[in-house]
Amino acid sequence: MKDYLISMFIDNELDLDEKIDFVQTVHNEQAFKNEAIDLLEQEKLLHAEIVHTTPLTSIPVETEPTKRVFLPWLRPAVLFSAGIALGIALLLIQLRSIPSPTPITVASTEIPYRFVIYRPEAKQAAIIGTFTRWQTVAMKPIGNSGYWSLTLTLPEGEYQYSYLVEEGKQITDPTVSERVQDDFGGENSLITIKV
Amino acid sequence: MNRFREFYNDNKGRFFWYLLCRSGDYDLAADTMQESFARYLERYAQRELSVSLLFTIGRNLLNDNSRKRRIIIPYDENKHKGRSDEESAYMEREESRRVMNAIQQLAPDEADLLSLVVSSGLSYHQIAELTGTSEGNIKVRIHRCRQKLKKILHTGET
Repeated sequence: MKDYLISMFIDNELDLDEKIDFVQTVHNEQAFKNEAIDLLEQEKLLHAEIVHTTPLTSIPVETEPTKRVFLPWLRPAVLFSAGIALGIALLLIQLRSIPSPTPITVASTEIPYRFVIYRPEAKQAAIIGTFTRWQTVAMKPIGNSGYWSLTLTLPEGEYQYSYLVEEGKQITDPTVSERVQDDFGGENSLITIKV
Repeated sequence: MNRFREFYNDNKGRFFWYLLCRSGDYDLAADTMQESFARYLERYAQRELSVSLLFTIGRNLLNDNSRKRRIIIPYDENKHKGRSDEESAYMEREESRRVMNAIQQLAPDEADLLSLVVSSGLSYHQIAELTGTSEGNIKVRIHRCRQKLKKILHTGET
């Protein structure tokens, strides 16, 4: 049972002796050879170019670690002073009977959804849809990448929309297959957002 | 920052491919990629930049994925024919999608392992460390995954 040599060969993990063993086996056994070729062909599919579908992401700005301001021998004094100040503040709060503010929390059922379109030649891009009451909302260019994006916070539901990429030119979202006819002989993209 | 930006540019493609294979969901993969790099920068940027650590963060994020929103829209070839250049590009990548869909039919641990081997560029030894198993085990398992994938691609059966 050494057919895992094929995978090791694909990943180039064999040492020289194993490579010799592999080549001899492949030459001697037709089935082994066919299996190796099939898996190599499959590996080509697995490595097919997909990098250009990698989405644009932003990474946060790296900051220098915070520099220590206090000298080590000052730290106990600073902590002591802070403790005293905190104690006085708490005492004042109790004396005045100030009610503590109650945080207001609102259960949100809305979620952000990012619309992205690639139109390097466009001077401007916008979106219209049921969520904008068919009003035009401008999209922002992502640098000079040719991408335009807009993030909207939407509640759960089904939405129709289109992009406006040039004057009066309305197009559906090429990344969304679901389409519906509108009342003017055109089409809109259809998405369903679930929370 | 340049150091991390280089790390990001060098790894974003294969890392995204791994996340996409694992999740089968473009939006989820995109979100996870962004979150992984952000976490890496926030917590580990002062350490030596490690592909293995990046993939570990991504795996963990996918494993405890608590994402609430999932929009899954089936791809309909007929609806995309002859619409624009972008859609033609989608057609050309259909083969990749077919492979990705086949990977989704593997057991989750198999899909994880195969995606790691294909995309990460890590050695069997590193993947063994990352997944907490032995190198020998990885070698045999990855080959079985490939054979299983081949069967799915050829017959549609698992």
